[in-house]
Amino acid sequence: MGQIEFHGVVKRFDNGFEALRNVSLSFEEGSMTFLTGHSGAGKTTFLKLLLCLDRPSRGRITVNGVDLGSLKARGLAFYRRGLGAVFQDHHLLTARSVFENVALPLRVAGMRERDVGRRVRAALTRVGLLERESMLPTQLSTGEQQRVGIARAVVIRPRVLIADEPTGNLDPDLSRDIMALFGQFNQVGATVIVASHDLQLIGGLNQRIVELSHGAVVRDIRPTPGSAHHG
Amino acid sequence: MAERGRRAGSKAPKEPWPKASVPGSWRRDHVRVAHDSFRHVSRRFGTTLLAWLLVGIALALPAALYLVQSGLAELTGRWDHRPGLSVYFEPGMGPDTLAAELREQFGVERVEVTTQEEALAEFGAQAQLADALGILEVNPLPASLRVVPVAGAGPADLERLAELARRHPGAAEVVVERTWLERVTAASVVARRLGAILGALFALGAVMVTATSVRLAIEGRLEELKVMKLVGASDGQVRRPFLYLGMLYGLGGGVLAAMLLSVGLTVVEAPLAGLLGSFEVEFEPAAFSLRFLAILLGAGTLLGVIGAVLAVRQRRASLDIL
Ligand SMILES: Nc1ncnc2c1ncn2[C@@H]1O[C@H](COP(=O)(O)OP(=O)(O)OP(=O)(O)O)[C@@H](O)[C@H]1O
Ligand SMILES: [Mg+2]
Repeated sequence: MGQIEFHGVVKRFDNGFEALRNVSLSFEEGSMTFLTGHSGAGKTTFLKLLLCLDRPSRGRITVNGVDLGSLKARGLAFYRRGLGAVFQDHHLLTARSVFENVALPLRVAGMRERDVGRRVRAALTRVGLLERESMLPTQLSTGEQQRVGIARAVVIRPRVLIADEPTGNLDPDLSRDIMALFGQFNQVGATVIVASHDLQLIGGLNQRIVELSHGAVVRDIRPTPGSAHHG
Repeated sequence: MAERGRRAGSKAPKEPWPKASVPGSWRRDHVRVAHDSFRHVSRRFGTTLLAWLLVGIALALPAALYLVQSGLAELTGRWDHRPGLSVYFEPGMGPDTLAAELREQFGVERVEVTTQEEALAEFGAQAQLADALGILEVNPLPASLRVVPVAGAGPADLERLAELARRHPGAAEVVVERTWLERVTAASVVARRLGAILGALFALGAVMVTATSVRLAIEGRLEELKVMKLVGASDGQVRRPFLYLGMLYGLGGGVLAAMLLSVGLTVVEAPLAGLLGSFEVEFEPAAFSLRFLAILLGAGTLLGVIGAVLAVRQRRASLDIL
């Protein structure tokens, strides 16, 4: 999977507030996109709809031609197994170790325990937290927690990787490392969408940038063809 | 369950992303969940023990009634519902004349005679009071006879024979066993009905106990369940730990009920045997068979799972992240 399309998507909350207004966007399979915009622009709302954590009030979202609105519970579960998601508020299990947190998607997918250990350690190595594997998330710094969330998102080697402010609490060096990690996933074929308002960071990566403002797409900048790729 | 269905199905998937799980994942998930549930139960042993105790008592009470009832039914069954008639004589009076008279009567199969000496010997042997009785200078036990009517003799026949015996000068007391038997039968009927009602009530209690315990467990893991769903856990996977938990609560309750019952039976067995022995009824320990044990454990497990299903249903909305 990888081809993602938003057709005239509107998200109106119960209080009448419209967080997304008629958003139509298309993300090709294997593409990498940064989603930017002011705080409250609708980035998180956009990603939540893509993760099926909420339904659009109007419009359609299709992934590889399948309308997400048509998915039943079972189909939804399998859809999510193919996604890697980094959440703005981490969503880590505070009572479980770092290792257990990162292992969760693999166990849910039914992977053998042997392979689970190998994959979890590989992912933790990528985010530089291998020596923290037996600690609890609450014992980690916010940036470290964020990296645990990233390890959990990439550990299943997803075809679609979605990240909401994954570098929000990281220093510039670490932020670049994480973006490079996402870039590597993109290079092996994953469709990557990253919400970030760190324009300085994403501006230098020569990738597509979509800017939202008050729930509407105001800019959609494609990378200059032929120019050097980051990383 | 969804995962299993998929493996069996050969239809082309509607969704374009891979749906087939890793081979063996369904079994692995069960093993992992069972393991987790045992850990959950042993870590919160206080809560677990309380649940076991409540479920255990809820199962033990109706089960005990059932045992009593089946014991009574078995007793009356062994007597073949053959009513009888006993005549006890004044001290010093012999049963022989009346016995001869009764043997002549229509509807009498046989008449068993117990002399004063026989009564003393028997009572002494049974109650192991021979020595104590030996101290007495006179024999306090009356002579008696027992009339066994032919099969099919009705209450009217029995009443006619009783009337005859009452008129006999030496007869002190005439006991128509039918009334006693009817009481036992009636008691067994009452016990059965009471058992059914109590059984239903206590089963409901057991279900509510497990439902409450499981609901608490769900509440404690709500965050984890949401995250599990975020990374693609199916509804089946989310429910599974709680069904296992309900099963463990129910099964443990069943084991505890069996323990309570066997302790209870041991306590009442000896006195009951003595009591019934004095009625010349051979007492067999209540039917605590392997089958009964299996039913007890099975019922516990089933009720536990039902409780868990109810709890999961109730909490379904809060687990829905869409
Ligand atoms: N459940 C809700 N009910 C009502 N309004 C909501 C709800 N969720 C979000 N909003 C509003 O929708 C708007 C968009 O929120 P969203 O979280 O998508 O912004 P964002 O672009 O991710 O911002 P940030 O950069 O601060 O994370 C905000 O103004 C927010 O207040
Ligand atoms: Mg946001």
